[in-house]
Amino acid sequence: MRALIVEDEPLLIEDLEECLLEEQFNVDSAQRLRKASDLVAAEEYDLILLDLGLPDGDGLDLLKTIKKDHKETAVIIITARGETEDKVKGLELGSDDYLAKPFPIAELRARIHAVMRRKYDISNNQIVAGPVKLNVDHMKVLVDDEPLDVTETEYKMMRYLMLNKNKTITRIALAEHIWGSKIDDRFSLDFINSHMKNIRKKLNAAGVENLIKTVYGVGYKLTTYETE
Amino acid sequence: MKLNNKILLSNTILTLVVFALTSIGIYYLINSTVYGELDNHLLQHKIDLINQIDEDASSLQDIKELGILGSYEWIEIETYDGTVAPNENDFATIDTMRNPNKEIEEKSYRRLTTAINVKDTYYTIRLYEEVASWEHISRTILLSVLAGLLIWILLLYILNQFVLDKVLAPFYETVSTLEHISNPSDLNETFPDTTTYEINVLNRALNSMMHQIRSSFEDQKQFIQNASHELLTPLSIIRQKAEKILTNADSLDKQTIKAAGNIQDTAVRLSRLSNALLLISRIENQQYSLDEDIEITNITENVIDELSDFIEIKQLTLKKEFNCPINIKGNSELIRAAIYNIVQNAIKYTPTGTSITLQTKCHGEHSSFSVLDEGPGIPNEFLDSVFDRFQKTQNHTDGFDDDSPGLGLSIVQSISRLHNFRCSAQNHPDKGAEVLIHF
Repeated sequence: MRALIVEDEPLLIEDLEECLLEEQFNVDSAQRLRKASDLVAAEEYDLILLDLGLPDGDGLDLLKTIKKDHKETAVIIITARGETEDKVKGLELGSDDYLAKPFPIAELRARIHAVMRRKYDISNNQIVAGPVKLNVDHMKVLVDDEPLDVTETEYKMMRYLMLNKNKTITRIALAEHIWGSKIDDRFSLDFINSHMKNIRKKLNAAGVENLIKTVYGVGYKLTTYETE
Repeated sequence: MKLNNKILLSNTILTLVVFALTSIGIYYLINSTVYGELDNHLLQHKIDLINQIDEDASSLQDIKELGILGSYEWIEIETYDGTVAPNENDFATIDTMRNPNKEIEEKSYRRLTTAINVKDTYYTIRLYEEVASWEHISRTILLSVLAGLLIWILLLYILNQFVLDKVLAPFYETVSTLEHISNPSDLNETFPDTTTYEINVLNRALNSMMHQIRSSFEDQKQFIQNASHELLTPLSIIRQKAEKILTNADSLDKQTIKAAGNIQDTAVRLSRLSNALLLISRIENQQYSLDEDIEITNITENVIDELSDFIEIKQLTLKKEFNCPINIKGNSELIRAAIYNIVQNAIKYTPTGTSITLQTKCHGEHSSFSVLDEGPGIPNEFLDSVFDRFQKTQNHTDGFDDDSPGLGLSIVQSISRLHNFRCSAQNHPDKGAEVLIHF
């Protein structure tokens, strides 16, 4: 999954980045509104941490654009402005949560989980697909309650496919969600294939077959027919 | 040859030619003056002689025997031999003479041959006068005049040099400014007005031309930036719509799914292309601050970390030869992007199971960072142009159908230019290509 940090203080960016990387996000950051709006226009983010007070403009304008063009993107506003008016305005404009500086990173983590739970409608920080359970708050995958040993990249791929259950995910979208947009796509698609081979091998070994289907020429689809 | 030297040289050559012609002229002028004076002198002697003989005819014999008229003058009197008509004066210059003492003197003499009538007898009279003494005077005059002229030419040369330098200074200023312009963004120099009409015309023409080039270049850069930015939003909408179609893949036939997948892929690729162009134009429009302290090996480690996934899967061995830390001032985000692109390229082109060598080198002020892969190398005809926009090799490495536009290295070049670094690429004789940044 991809996250964007819009924040003008480099030291805070570092902390936020660290937190998001631990959450297995692919992170971009922007210190200026101009760059942030370039990124928002070009990329698909799952989460944006937005500071309202930027040196070259008001973050609320960016929030409007995000909510207009990217309804799916979750936005958490981070700002030094503690005023209720701003908070209300931000939430009215569609931000998913609001954090006033200073805040402990643990709180940010909790808010991210909450927002993601709401966004993907998951309970208990766990996504279930048939016999496979995947924790979103830490890197853990269970098959029939037995832990499955996966690498970081495999975890990211599985998480993205499980969050988008029953949807066809193109390989390029998958690559972007793992490595961001900097990576050359012709180059990364081969890697997606080999990672997918490994995931299937591991799932097969654990007795799960045909969970992830290849949509020929397009990408992958994780299907589950169970209803909970 | 420089213009001032050319003017000076032609000036000097011209003066020397005039000087030579003047010298010849002066020589003839002085000579003719000297001979004219000598001839007058000889005629005077003739008149004196006639006067004396008129008074006393017998003195002719005495004069004939004496033979000497003055310190440098001699006389020969013979019976008329018909060499000249009576009462004619014939002047000649001779170089040998037998003096009255019968000695032969090899000197230049002026001779007047004439015939006079003494008591109805005609005599041929030859009057001689030595030229040497006169020549001495004429030579002195000639030499001093020529020396004066020569000194004048020399002074003129030195003065000319000085004055020309002064007069042409604004012209040379313009020329040296032009010589230092390498990039259209350097065109912000304006050429000043001077007191010379022609240079003013030149400078004004240059100013207006450079202004036009600069503004159209700025417009072009701004246009690329705006166009790239404006393209991004519609592209991401196309992408989202395609994604939405793919969401309900169950109700669709295979062909529709494939088409929607292709639309999404293309939209993603296009927005990356726009993004790369946007980055390059932002760099070229100098919208980045360059005041961060950066350490290259740190950033490289960081990049390797980010790309470790790919290094692992391709089973590549990384050889790190960080001989020295490289500390520079610049924009860390851009430097990181440059290194990322170079390393990614190396990973892309090197075959599975081989190695990539990352190296830093320092020689005094000069330091460089290089990445060497073991791929097929860069075809020679592309070596000079690998850093140009949309330049890509037709060389497909196994497994990679490389038809993405080659903007990676051109981003590297833009970033290097912005920081005043230099980047280059070379092939290694055995195998592989090496890309270097010189700081």
